Amino acid sequence: MTAQTLRVLFAVVFCAALAGGCGKKEEAAPARKAEAEKPAEAKPTGTLNLYNWNNYLAPETIARFEKQFAAKIVQTYFSDNEEMLAKLAAGATGYDVIVPTSNALEVLIKKGDLQPLDPSKLPNLSNMKPELMNTPFDPGNKFSVPYAYSTTVIGFNDKRMKGAGLDPRGFEVLFDPAVACKIKGHITVLDSPDEVFSAAFVYLGIDPNTTSNDDYKRAAETIKKAKSCWAAFNSSSYIKELSTGNIWLALGYSVDFFQANQDAAAAKQDFKILSVIPSQGAVLSVDNMVIHKSAPNPALAHAFINFMMEGQNAAELSNLIGSGNANAAAMQFVKPEVKANLSVFPDSEAMKKLRQLRLLPAEQRQERGRLWTEVKVR
Amino acid sequence: MNRIVPGWVWGSAAAVYLFLYLPLIVVVVFSFNDSKLNAAWVGFTTAWYAKLFRNDEMLVAARNSLLIALVASVVATVLGTMAGFALHRYRMRVLPVLVVAPIAIPEILMGVALLMFFVILNLTLGLVSITLSHIAFCIGYVALVVRARLAGMDESLVEAARDCGATPSEAFRYVTLPLILPGVIAGSLMAFTLSIDDFVITFFTAGAQASTLPLQIYSMVKIAVTPEVNAISTLLLLLTLLLITVAARIAPGLLRMND
Repeated sequence: MTAQTLRVLFAVVFCAALAGGCGKKEEAAPARKAEAEKPAEAKPTGTLNLYNWNNYLAPETIARFEKQFAAKIVQTYFSDNEEMLAKLAAGATGYDVIVPTSNALEVLIKKGDLQPLDPSKLPNLSNMKPELMNTPFDPGNKFSVPYAYSTTVIGFNDKRMKGAGLDPRGFEVLFDPAVACKIKGHITVLDSPDEVFSAAFVYLGIDPNTTSNDDYKRAAETIKKAKSCWAAFNSSSYIKELSTGNIWLALGYSVDFFQANQDAAAAKQDFKILSVIPSQGAVLSVDNMVIHKSAPNPALAHAFINFMMEGQNAAELSNLIGSGNANAAAMQFVKPEVKANLSVFPDSEAMKKLRQLRLLPAEQRQERGRLWTEVKVR
Repeated sequence: MNRIVPGWVWGSAAAVYLFLYLPLIVVVVFSFNDSKLNAAWVGFTTAWYAKLFRNDEMLVAARNSLLIALVASVVATVLGTMAGFALHRYRMRVLPVLVVAPIAIPEILMGVALLMFFVILNLTLGLVSITLSHIAFCIGYVALVVRARLAGMDESLVEAARDCGATPSEAFRYVTLPLILPGVIAGSLMAFTLSIDDFVITFFTAGAQASTLPLQIYSMVKIAVTPEVNAISTLLLLLTLLLITVAARIAPGLLRMND
């Protein structure tokens, strides 16, 4: 009796919420549009609600923007794309600018969650590097402008590599058991099916955006064989493990290796954590600035996006976390030690070998999930 | 009550307490460590606390958390005490379900439901929406604690007061309330601590304008657990310990909730 009452109650409440939620959204949209058209040509000001990753905007940049526009930036944070998508899908509103990674950007565009950008308000578009514009995720950059990027590469302890006589400049060092097992137990890879499968694809010479089940099986075999030489799947503490010297080689994000190297230097370690784009290529992930359809202040949002495309402002982000940036005008402001990082600012040859990941079709994602579990368990 | 406690009981108790408290001690120790890495002890410093108090975002989040927890626990205590009283007094079948359901419902479902509800109401997500949802899930806990206390109360005391001419509200104020006060305080403390460390429901009901400490910490931890996070955790720990101590002073029976 009680359990049944509960179940009925759940069902009623849930259905009501769903039905009501959908109806409301449709009627609320036109009202917001009218509001958006109101602001005159005057310099935009007010509050900018930025939904961003943590530590992804330099304090001095914030101060400069707030001064220039007499505005205030309020940041809230997400820590992965799914988290942000879930929250928006459930109906959260009030964000002016959001910074999704390209494949999440694709989802937002498809769902009609974004406002088209007005290029006339973005004169600094001319600063952007053409090779990172006009991607398949947002052809013609109707909705988005690149914010910053990182690559998924091999990071390593230079002293230990020399000691073991290994060359970390190719994926063999991770996937060929004959090589990798020379430093058995000192390797970690990201705990992410996206990244590990893609790395295996690149090693095998397969396009990482493949949807062929056979390709997936081959990659899974490769990972299974190499796994015996690895210490762990680790996405959360490998920065620390590298900078303390426990782990000597890792598949991870270029910005994390930058951090690990800084930490190692601060702890006066006698080694460096370097990173390199493997000879076979690597995965590139680009984060983009977009304006949500519910943006309370689209004028200021455009102003912010344009502001972030100014060379100095874009460069400050690179200097803060060692991320790459898609801004040609920024390069003169980027610190030499950041610019020298080849996994972030590669030569044009290596740049051509970088691939961005598309979102997998649901069916494929399921199959990959199954293989991933299998790989991790065995 | 002098019973001889066998050695293995002491041993296992020590092991359990060690398991419970060692991780917390590690956090506290590393918050004073003069190194960015949570790995080896380098030297003593209070620099992380200084850095924390210069971090405006963190301070705003802390202020939000405290404000929400304070308002939510006060409101939930009043409503929860009333609910607990009703649970004790009236034997309605549907009442316990209504009161306890928000506790039993998985937090994630509650979070999504509240978010959709606020969206329907066109309520801007922020401090208000977070506070309302915290009140919603805290009421049940307060009600349960208060009811447990009422169940152990001697009804004849209230009857005696009524016989001596007290009105129902006077009897409640001068007899029932003082008797159940430890339960009420325990419930409000529970509400406070639940509110201040809630992540899942807050995650869904927080909007573009306001963040709380747990949300802030979570977005920082994703990059790496820094000593700054250890420092803020230590302060939270201190606050909690302080609350328990204060409560134990106000209501000595509190820590023996069954009597």
